Amino acid sequence: MSKLAQALDGGKFVLTVELDPPRGSDLKPLTELTSSLGGKADALVISDNRGAVARMSPVLACHHLIKHASAEVIMTLACRDRNRLALASEMLAAAAGGVENLLVVSGDFTTLGDQPGAQPVFDLDSVQTLQLAASLEEAAFFLGAVLAPDSTLMGMQALKLRKKVQAGAAFFITKPISNGEGLGALLAQAGGEAPRVLAGLELGPEEDPAWAVELARELKAQGQAAGVHLSCPENQARLPELAGQLAL
Amino acid sequence: MIVAERKPFEEIAEASAGFRRVLVAGCGTCVAVCLTGGEKEAGILAAQLDIAAQLNQREQAFEVGCVERQCDREFLDELAPQIEQADAVLSLACGAGIQFLAEKFPEVPVLAGVNTTFIGINDDVGVWQEKCRSCRDCVLTLTGGICPMSLCPKGMLNGPCGGSDDGKCETDPERDCAWALISARLERTGRLGGLEAIVPARDCRNALPGKQVHPAYERRYSAHE
Repeated sequence: MSKLAQALDGGKFVLTVELDPPRGSDLKPLTELTSSLGGKADALVISDNRGAVARMSPVLACHHLIKHASAEVIMTLACRDRNRLALASEMLAAAAGGVENLLVVSGDFTTLGDQPGAQPVFDLDSVQTLQLAASLEEAAFFLGAVLAPDSTLMGMQALKLRKKVQAGAAFFITKPISNGEGLGALLAQAGGEAPRVLAGLELGPEEDPAWAVELARELKAQGQAAGVHLSCPENQARLPELAGQLAL
Repeated sequence: MIVAERKPFEEIAEASAGFRRVLVAGCGTCVAVCLTGGEKEAGILAAQLDIAAQLNQREQAFEVGCVERQCDREFLDELAPQIEQADAVLSLACGAGIQFLAEKFPEVPVLAGVNTTFIGINDDVGVWQEKCRSCRDCVLTLTGGICPMSLCPKGMLNGPCGGSDDGKCETDPERDCAWALISARLERTGRLGGLEAIVPARDCRNALPGKQVHPAYERRYSAHE
């Protein structure tokens, strides 16, 4: 069982932090950032061509961080760039490299990125990719998926949540939220057993994190979330300092 | 219907520059309806090419022909006398028509005058919208007559992605989210419950080149005949 799964099972209010693999081939800055995060985060979410911008493969980045920084990682895998053969191939490579937590996402559409003319794959959607991951006997991942609590399509997002749970998702990370209302409503509408949800808190490059700290405390106090997921995509160097404030 | 748009004039002029006698071949069905490649458009294009040839002092002659459907053997045969007199055929039919013309007249160079855009509908005067990707595995019964393969850029089959915002798609704030449309439609018709089961991954063997024989004709075209 992964350390993340153990922490969630143990009732700890978990903090995850999102990091991008490099746009080049030098892993040193990412490794140093991971080291300076120290033990503040329970797990690092390593993104997969976030924003449809090509970066180093998260498989290698995760493997490196496990080996050289003893990091607990959650590897993101996007449906956008790979057909089912390539998805399975990456899952097996990740497992061989020690990755135990997998976050399955659809992926931002190709036209939003730096190669807008690229072929969008989407051979499988996120639900089908979770099924694929759950079916691999060689790799027993702790599977995660994404929730969109502030969507105006609440009924559809609740449906998707139920399907993701059925497909094998054991934890969820939400898209960035600014309050707990949408999340509460989504979970109520989805019904069934409340899933383990990490609330996404995204900060701007210079933004004061006070609201995020307050929201995290609120979510913890009210038992609305099992933890928070911190991102600061435009200024990741801030993450160690921000994680220090958000580790409750 | 199949919708197409004319290629940029410069591209067509450049492609046809090396031929003395060019037959501009229109098609009287889909591309005529979408005002791209019918007899009228073929005539206009031939006149434009003629002017361009004169301006560039190229000795070229452009003739116009048009058949009901370039994708149909019996109609295509009508072009034979004109094609015999031509050094090249500039077809304004859809991709299917251009290919069938090339197949039926193997000796003559065939040039494409249009880009085939999609299978769609005529939404308003001069407006066409894509509706079908001809995926050979129709889910429209399940999705309320609204196609997620064609109208959702990600082709999501199990519900919307997280990028759906206020009924619009993450790829364009003007584009409706297909799943917002599907959701509203199924709610109105009381059929939302049909979406609960996970839709399995598609069988992409249907991406192989297609061929269809009507069951009544299977014997005629079987290997034994």
